[in-house]
Amino acid sequence: MDPETRELRALEEEVAALQRECRMLQNLEEKTSGAWKSFKKFSQSDSEEWESLKDLRSQLGHLKSELSFLSKLTGFNIRNYSKMEDIGNTEQTENDTKKVLQRHRLSGNCNMVTFQLEFEVLEIETKEKKSSIITDLSIIMEPTEYSELSEFASRAEEKRDLLMFFRSLHFFVEWYEYRENTFKHFKERYPDSVYLSEGTCSHCMEIRNARLPGFELVIVWRIQIDEEGKVFPKLDLLTKVPEQALEMDKNRVIETAPLSFRSLLGVLGIEAALDSLIRLFNTDK
Amino acid sequence: MESANSLCPGTECKGGVLAHLERLEAQMNRSNRKSEEPTVREKESSLRTKIRELQQQRDRLRVEVKQWRARIGFLWVALAVLELFSGLKLRDLPRMPGLKVKESSAKEDSSKTTLSEQEVLEKQWRNLKAILQAYRFTGLSGKLTNRRVCVYISTAFEGNLLDSYFVDLAIEKPLRIHHHSIPAFIPLEKIATAYLQTDVQRLLFSLSEYLNAYVGRKYQADQLESDFCAFLTGPLQRSALCNLLSFTYKVEHGTQAFSFSARLLYEDLTAALPTGVTVTRPAGVEASSPHWEEHRASHEMLFRTKTLHQAFASFSKETEMLHLNLVS
Repeated sequence: MDPETRELRALEEEVAALQRECRMLQNLEEKTSGAWKSFKKFSQSDSEEWESLKDLRSQLGHLKSELSFLSKLTGFNIRNYSKMEDIGNTEQTENDTKKVLQRHRLSGNCNMVTFQLEFEVLEIETKEKKSSIITDLSIIMEPTEYSELSEFASRAEEKRDLLMFFRSLHFFVEWYEYRENTFKHFKERYPDSVYLSEGTCSHCMEIRNARLPGFELVIVWRIQIDEEGKVFPKLDLLTKVPEQALEMDKNRVIETAPLSFRSLLGVLGIEAALDSLIRLFNTDK
Repeated sequence: MESANSLCPGTECKGGVLAHLERLEAQMNRSNRKSEEPTVREKESSLRTKIRELQQQRDRLRVEVKQWRARIGFLWVALAVLELFSGLKLRDLPRMPGLKVKESSAKEDSSKTTLSEQEVLEKQWRNLKAILQAYRFTGLSGKLTNRRVCVYISTAFEGNLLDSYFVDLAIEKPLRIHHHSIPAFIPLEKIATAYLQTDVQRLLFSLSEYLNAYVGRKYQADQLESDFCAFLTGPLQRSALCNLLSFTYKVEHGTQAFSFSARLLYEDLTAALPTGVTVTRPAGVEASSPHWEEHRASHEMLFRTKTLHQAFASFSKETEMLHLNLVS
């Protein structure tokens, strides 16, 4: 074979190889650009996902601040809540009345009182209106030492009045704090005559005079909740007086002291009445 | 892919320079062979032409291959970079020879954690949203927006969840009520003057007391009209605040029917039980029985301590009992 024919053969082979490669590459390009396109589509949805994640985070941040705001505003901290729709009790009655029973669990606290509630809400929907009724309410509260509160809780359960429960709890806690602060204030102001033998959180404050051993005035400050859930303070004055002194009390000052204290409260209000009582008891006769 | 191997890195360079040398050589040969026979020359020249054509075709193809490879290489690198950043992988992607992308398992993990993080966040979101909604059961809930807070005051009477009202506050100094749906007869202005700037919580609870009491009084009046209208002998009159109700009614006690006229006054606007109750003889009704006064007094007591519908429910129970007794 002469060199030119050899060259021709070699060239032909080279061209064929190049053509094959071209086809192969073309094929590859198609696939790759296909992948590229689908990838672009995919990555777009992925970046949407990222965006939604970012969005979710900022939404969560917003919800958290909303929650802390609400708990500050209302004084109630709801820590857990769950709702269950009772499928078995969901019924559609003949005349287009739809009934849905929901069970709710809610727990949290209002200052020092923690509560755990379970209640059922029956939603009745008719053509004209939609009404919701609490059909069952159970309340567990801690600590249990506030007897006024536990009595009230069972009344709220009986009436199934959830809103009244929260309202009264709020006012109770408010009065409770006020009582504590008032007791503390008098203990600080008159450390020698005011005693809080059961601590600042108790409902008793004792007033003594070092020069009158055996004499003691006890302020009993209770926080009462009435039938309608109204919260109000009830203050009473108890006297501890030695027998002889009672006999000597011709004007029955001691005997009438509780009544006088009541009227004093009515005129002066709690703080001023207590203040004047403490000072009165400690002036030298 | 094997065919790609035939293009070793040297080919291009050899092709370029060698082809040039070959062309020069061929030209020299041609001029040297001018004396040769025409047939041979013709044959030779057709061979030459073919070679030239093939050479040109080869060169074109080489350029084309180069372009394809460049394009695919670019796509491939771009994909690899995107994969790296997105944490995603297209496994069926055709591989470019010689171009190896590091397979990192960390990427897969990160994509997994991204997903589960999303799930965790979504769960948190649902949880928070539910808690926020649950606030309506406390009687006070709200929505916080940019410089605004809309507080919803829900009302109920006993177990019945009733209307809710809103107060939209503009968060600025001084705090301002922007909008509200509190009925006009609730002393909102008085309450706002007292507490808006000093204690918003007190303002809201105070409003809640007023609204719940109002709704409670209204509910009782409505119940009386709808469920116990058989007892009523005239229309029930009520003030806007439902703090003054008056109605006339007839009740069977024993075998006798007694007529009464009642006037219920709720001086405490935060209460759902009346402070002043007077039950009298309706105008134009003659004295019917010596027992009338007894019943009047007991009704007054009943209205003072029980809700209206409870009082009337006890009347109807009494009537039922009476009928049962008569039957047996």
